[in-house]
Amino acid sequence: MLLKSYRPADLFDELIDANGQIRPYYQPVADRLFPLEPHELEQKVKNLELLFLKQGVTFTVYGDERGTERVFPFDPVPRLIPGSEWEVVEAGLIQRITALNLFLYDVYHEQKILKDKIIPAEVILGAAHYRPEFVGVQVPRDTYIHVCGTDLIRDRDGRYLVLEDNGRCPSGVSYVLENRMAMKRVFPQLFGSTGVRSVDTYPADLLATLQYIAPRQTAQPNCVLLTPGVHNSAYFEHSFLARQMGIEIVEGRDLLVLDGFVYMRTTRGLQQVDVIYRRIDDDFLDPKVFRKDSMLGVPGLVDAVRRGNVALANAIGTGVADDKVTYAYVPEMIKYYLGQDPILDQVPTYLAWREEDRNYILEHLPELVVKAANESGGYGMLIGPMATKEEVEEFRLKIIATPRNYIAQPVVYFSQHPTLVDGVLEGRHVDLRPFILCGETIKVLPGGLTRVALTRGSLVVNSSQGGGSKDTWVLAR
Amino acid sequence: MLSRVADHIYWMSRYIERAENIARLMQVSVELLLDSSGPRATKSDDYWSPVLAATAMEGPFRLLYPAPQPGDSSHFLTLDERNPDSILSCVREARENARTVRDQISDEMWAELNQLYLLVDSARGRELLENTPQVFFEKIIQSSLLFDGITSATLSRTEGWNFLQLGRVLERADKTSRFLDIKTQSTATPADTALEALEWGTILRACSAQASYRRVNGTEFTLERVLEHLLFSTEFPRSIRFCVRTADELLHNISGTPTGMYSNRCEKLAGALLSRLNFSGPSDVLERGLHEYIDELQVALNETGQAVFEAYVLIPEDALRQAHRLHGFDPLGYHLQKQQQQQ
Repeated sequence: MLLKSYRPADLFDELIDANGQIRPYYQPVADRLFPLEPHELEQKVKNLELLFLKQGVTFTVYGDERGTERVFPFDPVPRLIPGSEWEVVEAGLIQRITALNLFLYDVYHEQKILKDKIIPAEVILGAAHYRPEFVGVQVPRDTYIHVCGTDLIRDRDGRYLVLEDNGRCPSGVSYVLENRMAMKRVFPQLFGSTGVRSVDTYPADLLATLQYIAPRQTAQPNCVLLTPGVHNSAYFEHSFLARQMGIEIVEGRDLLVLDGFVYMRTTRGLQQVDVIYRRIDDDFLDPKVFRKDSMLGVPGLVDAVRRGNVALANAIGTGVADDKVTYAYVPEMIKYYLGQDPILDQVPTYLAWREEDRNYILEHLPELVVKAANESGGYGMLIGPMATKEEVEEFRLKIIATPRNYIAQPVVYFSQHPTLVDGVLEGRHVDLRPFILCGETIKVLPGGLTRVALTRGSLVVNSSQGGGSKDTWVLAR
Repeated sequence: MLSRVADHIYWMSRYIERAENIARLMQVSVELLLDSSGPRATKSDDYWSPVLAATAMEGPFRLLYPAPQPGDSSHFLTLDERNPDSILSCVREARENARTVRDQISDEMWAELNQLYLLVDSARGRELLENTPQVFFEKIIQSSLLFDGITSATLSRTEGWNFLQLGRVLERADKTSRFLDIKTQSTATPADTALEALEWGTILRACSAQASYRRVNGTEFTLERVLEHLLFSTEFPRSIRFCVRTADELLHNISGTPTGMYSNRCEKLAGALLSRLNFSGPSDVLERGLHEYIDELQVALNETGQAVFEAYVLIPEDALRQAHRLHGFDPLGYHLQKQQQQQ
C-alpha cells in the first residue's frame, strides 16, 4: 500500500535495486511494514513524537527568545545495512581514525608529514583550529580523537564516501539510542526476523574510553561531562549521556583549578576530576589561554591538562584534523602512516588556496558545493545548483577574499531512502553518521545516525536546517 | 553532589510546590466568593485581591496593571509570563530546573513535570482555565502531589532527596502561613459565626486539612483550634511546625551534625524557629497579633532559605564572578556562548 507511488530516482536507492526489485535484505521489513495503511503508520509516528515530546527528547531552536524545543523529526522506515557491507565500512572507519590520530600526534610533535612535504605546512599551520600552544604536549595514550562522528554518503553506484570527519564534539548519538528504543516500542515484530545488531553498549563503551585515559588509574576515576549549559541545542544529549554513564554533568562554573588540579564544587567541598568529556569547543575551554571572554570554561584548565593532571576527550587541537582543507589530504595520510590504500573513498575536493583549483572553482561555482573550511552544522555552505545568483556572487567574493577558508566539491546526489511524507513513502536523501570510540581498542557503533533531508530534493540533512532521522539497522548477516 | 545541582533540585521542588499552593489559594478564593453573599463578591476587581495580598504580589500587580480590568488579576496569577510567581512561570521554572538536572532525577519525575508544563503552556490549558478554573487548579494540585509521590517512590534517599524535600517543606510552610493570612484579609468578624465557620472550613479544605481537623476537633471551627492545627500540629504534614521540623531534620541529614546542634547558619535559624514553634501555642499568636506573627514566621523562613543557599550553593556563583572579574560579567554574552553550534 505504502509503496504504491514510490519511484526510485536516478541515483542510488537504498530500497530498490537497478532492476526495480526490493533488495533482498529489505524483504522482511517490506513484508511487515509496507502493507500497513498510511494512517496506521502516521498514527504510530504521531504517538512516537508525542512520546519524544513528553520525555523531552528535543533539541533547542536558536533565534527564538523562548528557546523553543523541538522534537527531532523521526521517520519510521528503518535504514538497513547488510552485515557484509558494514564490515567494509567499519574497517574503513577504523583505518581512517587510526591515521587521523597518528596525524594529530605527528602534527603536535615532530611534524614529519609536513617536513616530508606530504601535506603543505601552510595548510596545517594556518588552519583555524591548529593549536601551536600544544606542540610537544603529551596526551594520555597518545590519542587525540576519542569520540568521532564521521559523515558518510553513498554515491550513484552505492559506494560509501566520507563527507567529513567530525573530530571535535560530534553530536547525535543520543538519537541513535532513542530511535532504537522508539522502534522497539512501535515495531517489536520487525526485529525478530531481521537480526539487528544492538547499539545498547555505547554508553558503557564511552565510559570505558574515558576511564582509559584517566591520569590516576584508580578503580573509579572521576569522569565528568562538561556542557555549555541547559540552553545549548544539544543539552538533551549531554544530559542523556551523563545519565546513561552515571557520571556528573558539569558546567564550567562547577569546576575550579587549584595548583594544576581540577576539582568540582560539591555540597561536601571539592572533589578531584580525572577525565572531562567536554562538549564545548577549544575556544571556550579556558579564558586564560583561549578566548578571554569565555564564560563557559574553567580558568587554568589548560595548565592542568598540560601538567597531565586531567585528561580531555577529545584532546585540544583536534579541529586541525577535521578541517575541510586537511580532509583533502586524508588519503595521503593513510598511505603515509599506515602504508595502506584507503578502504573508504571520499569526495574529490578543490582547494581554493591552490591557484589552479581556485580558478576552476570560480569558473564552475554554479555546479559546485562550496564549504567554509571550519564550519559545521550545514552553515557557511553554498550548494551551487540550488543557489540564487546573489548567493553565488556572495560566495565568489568570500572565496577571493579568504581562499584558505574555502573548499569546493562536485555535487554528490547521495542515496535516497523511502521516507514517510504526508502518508506516502517518497524518496529522500540520507547520509550516515557512525560513531567511533578510540579507547583501548577502536569500536564502531554498529549503524549510527541516519539523517534525512525531509524537503524534497534537499541535500541538507542537519537538524538545525530541517533534517530528520531514522533508525539504522546493521544486520547480523 | 554538585552545589549547582543541589540548587536546581531545591528550586525544582520549591517551584512545583509554589504552583500547587497558588492554585490552592485561588481555589479558596473562588469558593469563598461563590459562598459569601458579602459585598466583596460584587466587585470583580476584588476577586483575587486577598490572594494578591497574602502572597505579597499586590505591588508587582499594580506595577504591571496600573488600571486593572476584570480578568487581569486572574491572568496575572495564572498564565502571565511577566509575573515570575504566576502558575505558568512556576511550572516552567520547576520544569527548567528539572531539565537541567535530568540525570539526577528519575525519568518518571521528569515526565510528570514536563507533561504538566506542556499542558499549562498550551491552548488546551488556557481553555481549561477559561471554562472550568476549578478543574484547572485541581489539575495543578494533582500533578504536584503526583510528582511528590513519584519522587518518594523513585528517588534514592541521597543528598538530592534532602535538598528536594527541603525546598518542598520550606515553600509549603511559607504558603500555609499565607493561607492563614488570607483570613486576616477577611471582612468576617468573630461575631459573625456562620461566615467565620465557612471561611475557616474553606481554608482548611484548601490545605487538605478539613478531615484531619475534624478528627481532632469535631465540627466546630474556632480560631484557636485552626491555629493549633495549621501552625502547631505535629501530625498534620502541611502544618508549619511539621514542615519546619522536617526542614530541620533534612538540614541535619545533609551536614551530618547531630540534632539539637548546628554547624552553619541555616541549621541555627531552622533550629531557632523550630524551638519557637515547639514552645508556643495559639494564645501566643493571638497575643502578638495573627498578621504580625505570620509576618515574623515568613521572615524567618526566608532567612533560612537564604542561609541554605549561602551554605551550600553560593560558592560557584561567587567564583564565576570572580573568574570573570577582569572581563566583566555579561549575561547576554554568556547566553550566546552557551548556544554554540555542536558538530
